[in-house]
Amino acid sequence: MEFTERELWTVIHGLVLGTLFLLAFGGGLAGLYSLKAQLLTEEGIAERTPRLLIGSVVMAVVAWLTVWTGTFIVYPWYRAKPPEGLDATVQSDALAAFPRYWLLASEKTAEWHKLGMEWKEHVAWMAPYLATAVAFAVVYYGAQLVRRGEIRRAAIIFFTLAFLAAGVAGLFGAFITKAAAVA
Amino acid sequence: MQDMQTKPNGPVAAAFVAAGIGSLVLGLFVVLNEVSPDINTFLKFDAAYGLGKGVGPLSGKVALGTIAYLGSWVILHLMTRGREVNFSRWFAAALILVFAGFALTFPPIFEFIVDLFPKAA
Repeated sequence: MEFTERELWTVIHGLVLGTLFLLAFGGGLAGLYSLKAQLLTEEGIAERTPRLLIGSVVMAVVAWLTVWTGTFIVYPWYRAKPPEGLDATVQSDALAAFPRYWLLASEKTAEWHKLGMEWKEHVAWMAPYLATAVAFAVVYYGAQLVRRGEIRRAAIIFFTLAFLAAGVAGLFGAFITKAAAVA
Repeated sequence: MQDMQTKPNGPVAAAFVAAGIGSLVLGLFVVLNEVSPDINTFLKFDAAYGLGKGVGPLSGKVALGTIAYLGSWVILHLMTRGREVNFSRWFAAALILVFAGFALTFPPIFEFIVDLFPKAA
C-alpha cells in the first residue's frame, strides 16, 4: 500500500485541505450566525469570539493553500501534453497519464474538462478572496462584531459564497478525478 | 450610523469590495484569455516569470486577480481608514462585483461572450 507523489498531493489538495475547509466553514458559520447580543451573555461572547476567530482565519488560510496546491502542483499534471506520436483522439491506457487530453478524446467525457475543469480552476480562486475578507472583519472587530449586525450578516453571505465557490471546485474535482485521475 | 462603541466600518467595507474587485478581474481575464491570442500568451506567467511550471495562462489569470484584490484592498483601506461608510452600499457593490466574477468564470457565459467577438485570423 503506497501513494505516488501525485496521489499524495491530490489527497492533500482535495481531501485533507478540503476537509479542513469544510470543518472551518461549519464552525465559522455557526459562530457568525449565533453571535447575537440577544442570545449571548458577555461571558458567552468572550468564550465564542476566539473560536470564531480561529474558524474564520483557518478557513481563509486553508482556502489559499488549497488553490495554491491545486493550481501550481496538481493542475500542471492534469494539463500535461502527451508526447508527439501518442494518439490524443483515442482513450488509450497511455493517454490516461494525460487526464486533460484523455477527457477530451471522447465526447462522453469532454464536458468534464470543458465545463467542469474550466469552471473549477477559475471559480476556486474566489474562495480565498472572500474568506480572507471575512477573516479580516472578524479579526478587526473581534467581540465588537456582536454590535455590528450588518457586517455580521454580510460576513455570513461572503462566507457562504466562499463555500459555494470551493464547493463547485471540490465537487467537480471529485468527479473529474473519478473520470480521469492524476496519478 | 456608527455604533460609537465599535471601530469605524470603512476598513471592513474596503476588504469586502476588494474581494469583489479581485473576483471581477479574474473573471475578465478568463474572457480576455479566450478572446485574444496575444492576451493568452501574455497570461503565461509560468513561462515569462517562472510562476509555476506548466500552469499556462491560468498562472497569469490568478496572479492578476490576486494582485487586483490585494492592490485594491490596500488602496481602499487607505481611503476608508478611520471612516464610517454606508456599509449597505459598499456591500451591495461588493456583491455585484463578486457575482459578475462568478458569472464570467462560468464556461457557458464566458463562451457566449467570446462568441460575440470576431475570431482572430
